[in-house]
Amino acid sequence: MRALLIPLALFGGAAQAQMLQRVIPGRAPPPPMLLGIDALRADFIAKTGSDKVYFGGDSSGLTEQARATLAAQAQWLRQHPEVLVRIEGHADASDTRDHALAVGARRAEEVRNYLILLGVPAAQLASVSWGKERVAVQGSSAEALALNRRVVTVLVR
Amino acid sequence: MIFRRRLLALTLIFLASPALGQGPVTVIAVPPLTTPDPKISGEGSPLAVAWQASQLIASDLRSTAELVAIPPDQKDYYSFPEVTAPSFSKWRAKGAKLLLTGFVRARPDGRLTVGCYAYNVQTGRELGRKGFVVAPDEWRRAAHKCSGVAYTAATGAPGIFDTRIAYVAETGTAAARVKRIAVMDSDGTAQTYVTAGDTIVLTPRLSPKAESLAYVSYVGGQPRVRVVDLDSGEQRPLVAVDAMTFAPRYSPDGQRILFAMQSGPNTDLYVVDAGGGAARRLTTAPGIDTDASFSPDSSRIVFESDRSGTQQLYVMAADGSGQRRISFGGGWYAAPAWSPDGEWIAFVRRLPGAGLRVGVIKPDGSGERLLTAGPADESPSWAASSQELVFQRTGPDGRSALYRISLAGGEPRRVATPQDGSDPDWSGTLD
Repeated sequence: MRALLIPLALFGGAAQAQMLQRVIPGRAPPPPMLLGIDALRADFIAKTGSDKVYFGGDSSGLTEQARATLAAQAQWLRQHPEVLVRIEGHADASDTRDHALAVGARRAEEVRNYLILLGVPAAQLASVSWGKERVAVQGSSAEALALNRRVVTVLVR
Repeated sequence: MIFRRRLLALTLIFLASPALGQGPVTVIAVPPLTTPDPKISGEGSPLAVAWQASQLIASDLRSTAELVAIPPDQKDYYSFPEVTAPSFSKWRAKGAKLLLTGFVRARPDGRLTVGCYAYNVQTGRELGRKGFVVAPDEWRRAAHKCSGVAYTAATGAPGIFDTRIAYVAETGTAAARVKRIAVMDSDGTAQTYVTAGDTIVLTPRLSPKAESLAYVSYVGGQPRVRVVDLDSGEQRPLVAVDAMTFAPRYSPDGQRILFAMQSGPNTDLYVVDAGGGAARRLTTAPGIDTDASFSPDSSRIVFESDRSGTQQLYVMAADGSGQRRISFGGGWYAAPAWSPDGEWIAFVRRLPGAGLRVGVIKPDGSGERLLTAGPADESPSWAASSQELVFQRTGPDGRSALYRISLAGGEPRRVATPQDGSDPDWSGTLD
């Protein structure tokens, strides 16, 4: 709960009111209602480990690690059906402009389909490709390229 | 917006003539254009324009790989009647193979008539002539047309001086890049911006006469192709779909636009009338098919596809039939562009460890040559002459600039732009 309390503290009175929510004995307490997208995002990262999954060169296939991250993301998203998500696909700068767009879209689609497979309603998940327009890490080293081949699950509202 | 009047071409008789031999550099004399109205003076006067135009012509011709200009010198001034009866012996003695003469004449309506003539100095034979009526402030375009007369006489190829280059002007930091569609004359003048920089824009593609422009914009949240009329500034989506559309390119006659559309994990190629209407699907293979480019007679299309596992070049008939792979050199091949003369297909080749390099290959897959050294060269686009390409080179700092490279090879030459530049596209010769 610690990670959760920090963002909640930003919301003062509303957060405290939730902390006083009654716990009914014998039943799991309902997840607290989070207010504000920043708090939701912080909770999402805390619960799922990461909002990003990474890909091999020229690949749109999900690695074991990516599947584990997405399983945690799916669980969180199923618990927050009111949260709309944009799946953002990226390619690295070693790709050409247009192919990068298509590869970013293919990766985003792969992630979106996997989340749907794990029970997240399709209507909750939009997707977009940024191609190689928004690199996370500058440079042409293998490490930089690997960190740019990613899909980010962005909580919109 | 960008308002450009068509030049009124005079109906001078143009004698189609064989080009001089190709290969070594040709020396051309460009003495100052003359005028029958030397007494009118001041800015925009025939005499002033004649001198400025002569210098611009010499500068245009110097920018080519095929011509070396003997620049205009006041002491080489000739009389109006000598425009069509020049002293060939004088230019033979100076080592010139070609001579460009011409005149600027005032018209009663305030505009100027500019006429140019290209001669073979050895034989005294006229190789080409053209005349134009322009407003005094449009003299640059007439000068570019004269440069084209000289270039065509020397090479047989269309002149590339009265052409435009569209590109993406980039400012801001790598993390927060601001991109705007820009259009300029190919000599770097007359810079105009088509978009405001409030959204990411990519890959501008000019119609052959640079009257309109197709590009990709993130307006509305998805990358989609939009078309803008460069005279009126009016814009519209190319096709009314929610899906991602990208990689637009005009047909050589400007009547149709090829583009790629994503559907799930697939991307396929489509064609649509430039004016709108229903799009027709050209490819159905699983994988990413993109970056389609028509052959000059519009009978065939080259495109890239990763259906084999890596990006490769394919050629098909214009209706999508007969798809055949033409690249087999190893690595990835992308972003093909068919040359206006039909001889070559420019491409970007990605080799592990060597980055992105621009090369050319024959449409049948033979004769592959890499033209640039990389490691981050892409987006090749042909000059109307088919002798030269403009492309984007990205530096280690992530900043991009435009360069020109001759089909014959050599060092790329930087194209000056006010900001960083990417995704260049070179128009055909304007009317």
